[in-house]
Amino acid sequence: MPESVHSQDQDQPMADEVAAEVDPITLDDKHIVVLPGATETAASFQFEGEGHTMGNALRYAVMKNPAVEFCGYTIPHPSDAKMHFRIQTTDSTTATEALEKGFNDLMDLCDVVTEKFTAARDQFNDEKANRMES
Amino acid sequence: MSREAYQVPSMGAQNAFGTDAGFGGAMAVDNPSVVYLCGECSARVPLKRGDQIRCKDCGHRVLYKERTKRMVQFEAR
Amino acid sequence: MAPLVPSQDEQQRRRIIDINAETVTNIPSTDFPGHWPGESHAWAVDQFKNTFQVDFHRNDPLEASFSLIGLDAAVANAFRRILMAEIPTLAIESVFVHNNTSVIQDEVLAQRLGLVPLKGSVEGLNWMHWFRKPGEDEDGSNASEPSDFNTVILRLDVECTKNPEADENEQDPRKLYNNAHVYAKDMTFHAVGRQESYFVDEGAIRPVHPEILLAKMRPGQKIDVEMHCNKGIGADHAKFSPVATATYRLLPDIKILRPIIGDDAKKFAKCFPKGVIGLEPVTAQEAGRGGSGYEGHAGEQKAVVQDPFKDTVSRECLRYDEFQGKVKLGRVRDHFIFNVESTGQFDSDVLFLEAVKVMKLKCARWKRGLNDLMA
Repeated sequence: MPESVHSQDQDQPMADEVAAEVDPITLDDKHIVVLPGATETAASFQFEGEGHTMGNALRYAVMKNPAVEFCGYTIPHPSDAKMHFRIQTTDSTTATEALEKGFNDLMDLCDVVTEKFTAARDQFNDEKANRMES
Repeated sequence: MSREAYQVPSMGAQNAFGTDAGFGGAMAVDNPSVVYLCGECSARVPLKRGDQIRCKDCGHRVLYKERTKRMVQFEAR
Repeated sequence: MAPLVPSQDEQQRRRIIDINAETVTNIPSTDFPGHWPGESHAWAVDQFKNTFQVDFHRNDPLEASFSLIGLDAAVANAFRRILMAEIPTLAIESVFVHNNTSVIQDEVLAQRLGLVPLKGSVEGLNWMHWFRKPGEDEDGSNASEPSDFNTVILRLDVECTKNPEADENEQDPRKLYNNAHVYAKDMTFHAVGRQESYFVDEGAIRPVHPEILLAKMRPGQKIDVEMHCNKGIGADHAKFSPVATATYRLLPDIKILRPIIGDDAKKFAKCFPKGVIGLEPVTAQEAGRGGSGYEGHAGEQKAVVQDPFKDTVSRECLRYDEFQGKVKLGRVRDHFIFNVESTGQFDSDVLFLEAVKVMKLKCARWKRGLNDLMA
């Protein structure tokens, strides 16, 4: 069983508004680890149990930040479920801030996608129902 | 460290591998019958120790063991 | 200084991935700050809200097709990956074989049973929690007890018998015997505790396809198994994947640069699937315009792009000398045509929304992990 599939009882501090209608992949007490050699504006973060799914999407979101000079991710070895995420920023921000902004932007994106998708689907279903009637 | 000498299997040496609680031990005491299935007619054939291995109905000489009555757990993967 | 805005032509050029005779070029996205001098490209939700579009082509419970326009490949791919591997579903996980005298081996039967797609009340399925199995390396203190909120019990108890009413000359084993074929519909659901209120009537846990053949038997053979279903994700085992397929392709783009007329037009249309290229007569007006390439061809057939959506982007048309330099093939970088086929536990459109939700949840959880790091 992969690390990501865990009992959700241990994931109680879910104060976020997105919380537990469905309880998919939980995180347990996993943390992001900062790899050695980090400075304020340049750091590599290690995500455990994560892969290309979040890696590439997050890289896109972080790269969209003008204060980020470099951003990239790698999975150093396919047999450990670890993803390394590198951010280098200008002096106007820090690597951690840029990462946090990346998460926020990605969550905003998800909201827009959900909203537009739901609207388009409902419209499509209505039109289909109308066509059936007429 | 001398190797154990080979023991010729015999009725008397039945308990060489375990003293009392073993399957063989129970066999020796009760001599119960074990049910087999005939390979030809699928009849249930109870056999005791020393019985001729032969179906009582059709005389077929191939008998099979019954499936275990225990529950067996599997992962569906 | 206000950021530069590239011209319409330039924006259009950047949107197209070029498909050449032997190469594919202009692949990576360049909409990042710092890539084009003077242009912004910084993330802006409002702008994304304005440009992002969803277009539905089909919406059935078992198959949905829709276009997401204005998204980056990284994000579209994340949705696709989550769709396949990270949306939890219910599937048979443990099989307890009480008796199986059929010719199919216990472990083979168990594996087969695991792959049967199940459905039931969506509300009930969402209410269910994970079942945590005792790991080999731990003492089992974290393992879950099977309860109504994490385990669904199904049973399969069938025995094959002779059918006394069967015709003497009957050859079909299904008529000759009772239960000669064991189907998925023979599995029975046994609600426990609160499941009795969630999984009732139409909401009962049952196989999506009742006619899946599980085993074959002959008179005297018997299968008696109990199955425990748990929630899991596709990353763990494919039986938990909620989709049969979840794919996307980029919208094909065909540009006819110079006129293709007459027999060439017919040949050109044949290079593409039906409906992609249409034939239209050259109008007198076009023929009258100098330098258009249509001079003196009034009334002849010309090739026009009718519906690039139907194209498969074969490069057949690039092989002929007569079309050399007259056509440009490509794909639209940010137009993803998704195709989602559900296995039946959830509706296909719901699955996509679920994928977006999972993505957001992942972000929220990692962000929390980041906050812990800062504290």
